[in-house]
Amino acid sequence: MVDTQKFPGNVPEQPSSDTLQPGSVLQKRYRITGVIGVGGMGSVYQARDLRFPNVTRYVAVKEMLNLSTDQSMREMTLKNFERESDMLASLSHPSVPEIYDYFPSKTRAYLVMEYINGRDLEAILNASGDALTVETIVQWAIDLCDVLGYLHRHEPEIIFRDVKPSNIMIDQHEQIRLVDFGIAKVFQEGQKGTMIGTEGYSAPEQYRGEATPASDVYGVGATLHHILTQRDPRLEPPFTFADRPIREANPNVSPELEAIIMKALEFNPADRYANAAEMKEALQSLMSRPSLGGVMSAFAGITEAQSSGNEWAVAEGITPVWMFSCEDEIRSSPTVHENLLYIGAHDNNLYAINIADGSFKWKYATDHPVVSTPAIVPDENLVVFGSVDHQLYALDARTGRLAWVVPTKGPVRSSPTVAHGHVFFGSDDGLLYAVRVSGGHKQWTWDGGDPIRSRPLIHGEMIIIGQESGYVVAVDLSGKVMWRFKTKRAVSSSPAEYEGLVIFGSMDWQVYALDIERGWKVWEYRTNKGIISSPAISDDKVFIGSVDGSFYALDASNGRERWQFQTEGQITSSPVCAGSNVYFGGIDGKVYSLDAKTGQLRWSYETGGPVPSSPVVHNDVVYIGSMDKRVYAFKA
Amino acid sequence: MDFIRRLLGLPPNSKTPGTAEEEVDVMHGADAAGVGGPVEPVIEVPEDTSPQSIASFEKPTSNSGPMTDKPNGAASETKVAAAESDVEMTAGTRPLPPLETIIPQPGERITFGQLSVVGMVRGNNQDSVLSILSSGTSIDDLPDFGLFVVADGMGGHQEGERASAITTRIVAKHVMSEIHTALLTQSMNDPDRPPIANILSAAVQEANDAVTESIPEGGTTVTTAVILGDLAYIAHVGDSRAYLITEERIEQVTRDHSLVQRLIELDQLTPEEAVEHPQRNVLYRAIGQSESLDVDAITRRLPPRSYLLLCSDGLWNMVSEETIMDIVMKYRDPQTACNELVKLANERGGPDNITVTLVQMPG
Repeated sequence: MVDTQKFPGNVPEQPSSDTLQPGSVLQKRYRITGVIGVGGMGSVYQARDLRFPNVTRYVAVKEMLNLSTDQSMREMTLKNFERESDMLASLSHPSVPEIYDYFPSKTRAYLVMEYINGRDLEAILNASGDALTVETIVQWAIDLCDVLGYLHRHEPEIIFRDVKPSNIMIDQHEQIRLVDFGIAKVFQEGQKGTMIGTEGYSAPEQYRGEATPASDVYGVGATLHHILTQRDPRLEPPFTFADRPIREANPNVSPELEAIIMKALEFNPADRYANAAEMKEALQSLMSRPSLGGVMSAFAGITEAQSSGNEWAVAEGITPVWMFSCEDEIRSSPTVHENLLYIGAHDNNLYAINIADGSFKWKYATDHPVVSTPAIVPDENLVVFGSVDHQLYALDARTGRLAWVVPTKGPVRSSPTVAHGHVFFGSDDGLLYAVRVSGGHKQWTWDGGDPIRSRPLIHGEMIIIGQESGYVVAVDLSGKVMWRFKTKRAVSSSPAEYEGLVIFGSMDWQVYALDIERGWKVWEYRTNKGIISSPAISDDKVFIGSVDGSFYALDASNGRERWQFQTEGQITSSPVCAGSNVYFGGIDGKVYSLDAKTGQLRWSYETGGPVPSSPVVHNDVVYIGSMDKRVYAFKA
Repeated sequence: MDFIRRLLGLPPNSKTPGTAEEEVDVMHGADAAGVGGPVEPVIEVPEDTSPQSIASFEKPTSNSGPMTDKPNGAASETKVAAAESDVEMTAGTRPLPPLETIIPQPGERITFGQLSVVGMVRGNNQDSVLSILSSGTSIDDLPDFGLFVVADGMGGHQEGERASAITTRIVAKHVMSEIHTALLTQSMNDPDRPPIANILSAAVQEANDAVTESIPEGGTTVTTAVILGDLAYIAHVGDSRAYLITEERIEQVTRDHSLVQRLIELDQLTPEEAVEHPQRNVLYRAIGQSESLDVDAITRRLPPRSYLLLCSDGLWNMVSEETIMDIVMKYRDPQTACNELVKLANERGGPDNITVTLVQMPG
C-alpha cells in the first residue's frame, strides 16, 4: 500500500537544498534574513529591504520554484503565479497583505509583500488557546468574515478555499490578516478545478473539486469550532463537527453562537450562510444584542432546560386521541389485539378497551393489583396475565370470560411470554412455569430459588430469565442450567435478543449484552442508577431507560452510546420503537416520543401522574397508562 | 422439535438434542469412542421422519426460535441416512459400517484458508496475516475458537511491513491470553471479566501503542475477527475489510475509515466517483497515527455455512463484491477460493499487495 498516504499531519516538509541561505540578496534589494515557511512549491522568506538603509524594513518574499523540465508546464506554472500576484495586487483590504513587487528569474519567481509581524492562529491556539475569551474569538470571526466577504464581492468572485488557523494571522495590532493566497483563485462558475484543501477544514464539496463562497463559510465554521472546542479536526474523522458539540467542550459559548457555527458547518452548501457577509451579519447581531443571548452563555449548565424548552413549544400541540379512566393507578403496560387494548390496574382489574374510541369493553377482577403486561394467545384467542393475587389468568379475549387459571405460591409480577403453544412466566415463589395454552395445564416448572419478575425470553430450547437475586439464567426444558450470569443487583428488566446476544439491564446500573448461547459478557454499559426498564432493540440500537433519569440509545453491536436524553425524573418504563421513533414514559409524568436516530424530542405529553407503564404502538397510535389512573391514546 | 416433544412428555427423537453439530457427532461417534468398539447408535423409531407428525407439532409453533426451525441441510441429510439404515437396523443393533470420513470435513468445524501475496507491481509485501484456530470435542463442550487478523502496512523503509507484522502479533498475543486462555481455564463466565468487545479493542489499542512507539513513520490498517461458536467479534481500523457471505448475499461488515467513505456517507460522492477519486487512499484513522485511537467494534452472528472474508484493499479495489461472492460460492473450499480471488486480482493488474482470509462456518 505504498500509495496509501498517511493523513497529512503537522510534519514539516524537509527544506530543499534550493532554499536561499540567509545573506543572499535578490534584485540587489532584498537581503534574506530568515525562512518563514517551506511549502511544496517553494519557500517564504523574511527579507530586509535595502532601499531603506536607515530603518529596518522587513518584507516577506514568496518564492515559487519552477523546476518542470516541460516547457509548457513551466509556462503554466509561471502564469499561475503571475495570476496570483496580479490578483493580490488588485486587492485593497486591511486584512489582505500588501503587494510591493514581483519578479521572475530562470527557475523561480518571487513575490514581495508586506511582512506581517504576528502569529498565526494555530500557534496561538497551541500556546494559549484556553486563555482566549469567546468575545475575542467572535471579534476575530467577524473580521475574518469581513475580509472573506470582501473577496466574495470582488469581480470576479474570489474563493479563498483554504480557511484554517494556520492561514489566519493576528498582527501586532491585534488585526486579522489572511495569508497564503496560494490556492485562492479567481472563481469561475461551474468549472471543476483541481481539488485542493486541508483535510479537516475543507467543505465536503471541495473534495469534488467545487468551491463556492459557502465553502469558505465552512472553513470559518471549522476554524471557530477548532478554537472553541480545542479539538483539532485533523485528528478526527472528516466532517464530524456535529459529533463534538461546542457547548459540551466550552459551556461559555451561548446556544445562539453555537447555532451560527453549526449552520456554517452544514454538509449541504445551500444550508449554510451563502457567503461570508451573511455570516458576519449573524455574528454581529449576536454581539450587539447581548440581552438576547450574546456570545456567552447566560448561565452555563442549563442547556437541557433551554433546548427542550424550545422544542416543548413546538410539541405542545399534542393532545390525546382519547383517555380512559380506571379506578386506580396504572403501573403495568397495555397490549393491543384485534381492536381491543388490554391493561391491568391497581384496582385489581384487567380492562379491555376499544382502541378506536377508548370505550369500555369489559373488565375482569382479580383479588390483587395487576402489574404484569398481558400477552395474547392468538390461536386460542386468549389474553393471559399475572396478578399479585398469586395467579396467572387466561381470559377469552373477546368476552373476558375466564378460560383457565394457574395458581402459584407468590405474586405474579412477571409478564408472560407465549411460545411453542405454551405460556411461560415467572412468579415471586421462585418458579418458572410453562403451561399449555389450551387448558392451562401446568406442563413444566423450574425452581430458580428467587423471585422472577422479568418476562422470560425464549431462544430455541432455552428460556432466559432475570431473577431478583441478580442472576440471569438460561435453562433448558430438562431444567438444566445452560448458563448463569451474575449481576450485582436484581434483574427485573426483561431480556431481549439481538444477533446472537441477549441484552438486559440490572439494578446494578449496567446494561449487559451476553452471548446468548453461553452467557459470556460481550459488552456492558454503565448508567448512573439502577435499571428496571427493559430494552427495545431496533435498527441495531438498544433503547433503555435508567432510574438516573436518562434515556439511552446504545449501539447494539458494541454497547457504545449513540445518544442520551434527559428527563426530569426516573425512567422505569420500557421503550417501544415504531417507524423511526421511540416512545416511553417518565416518572416526571410525561410520555415521550423521540427520533430514534438522533434522540431529538418529537413531542411529549404531561399526564397527571408518573408513567412507569410502557407504551404500545399499533397502527400509528401510541397507548400508555399513567398513575393518574388513565389510559391515553396519542397519534404516534 | 425436541422442545415440544419434551414439553409434551414424548420421548426425544434421538439421544442428543437436535442441534446439527451434535447429530453429526452421533454419526461419527465411533471416532470419538476410540478403541472401545464402535458405538451402537440406538436410533429409536424416528417419529420425525413422518412428515405428518412433524407438521402436527410444528403448526402451533410458528414463532419458534431459529434453533428449532427447519433443520439445516446437513442435519436433515444425516437424519435421512439414519432413517434409511434404521430399516435394516431395527432387527438388531448392528454397528454402523466403518466410517471413512473421520477427518473433520468442511461443514463440521470452522475451516479457513488464507493467502497474502505481493501482487504484480510492488516490490515488497507490506500486508501481514495471522490466523489461529482451536477446535475440539470433549465433555466441556468448548466452542470453536478462531482468531483471524489482516493488516495492511504503510510507510517506506520496510516500516509498513514492520507495522503490520507487529500489529498482527500483538493483537493475537492479547486475544490469546485474554480470551483463549480464559476459554481453556473455563473462566469466560466470570462476571468481572472485561467484556469480549472491550478485549478486542484493547488488543488493537496495544498494537497501536507499540507501532506508535517503535515505528514512528509507519502505520497499518487492522481488521481482526475472533469467532467463538457462532458469534464473530470484529475490531477494525482503516480500510481493510470484513465481509459476511451467505448463499443469498454478501455484506460489508466493516466501514472504511477513509476520506472517500466519509464523503459517500454524506452523499457528497457516489461510490462510482470514489473509485476514481484522487484521494481514495487517504485514511483518517489507522494504527500508528496517534496515541489515541478509536477502534470500531462489531458483534455479528455468523449463520451456519456462511463465510467471513477478511481482506486488504488489494482485493476489494480490484474485485467487486458480486465477483467475490460468485467465486466463494463457486469454489466453496476456503483455501481454493482464496487462491482464486488472489489470482483474479493479479490478473487484473495486481497493483497492490493482496491478502485474503476466508473462514467457513460449520453447518
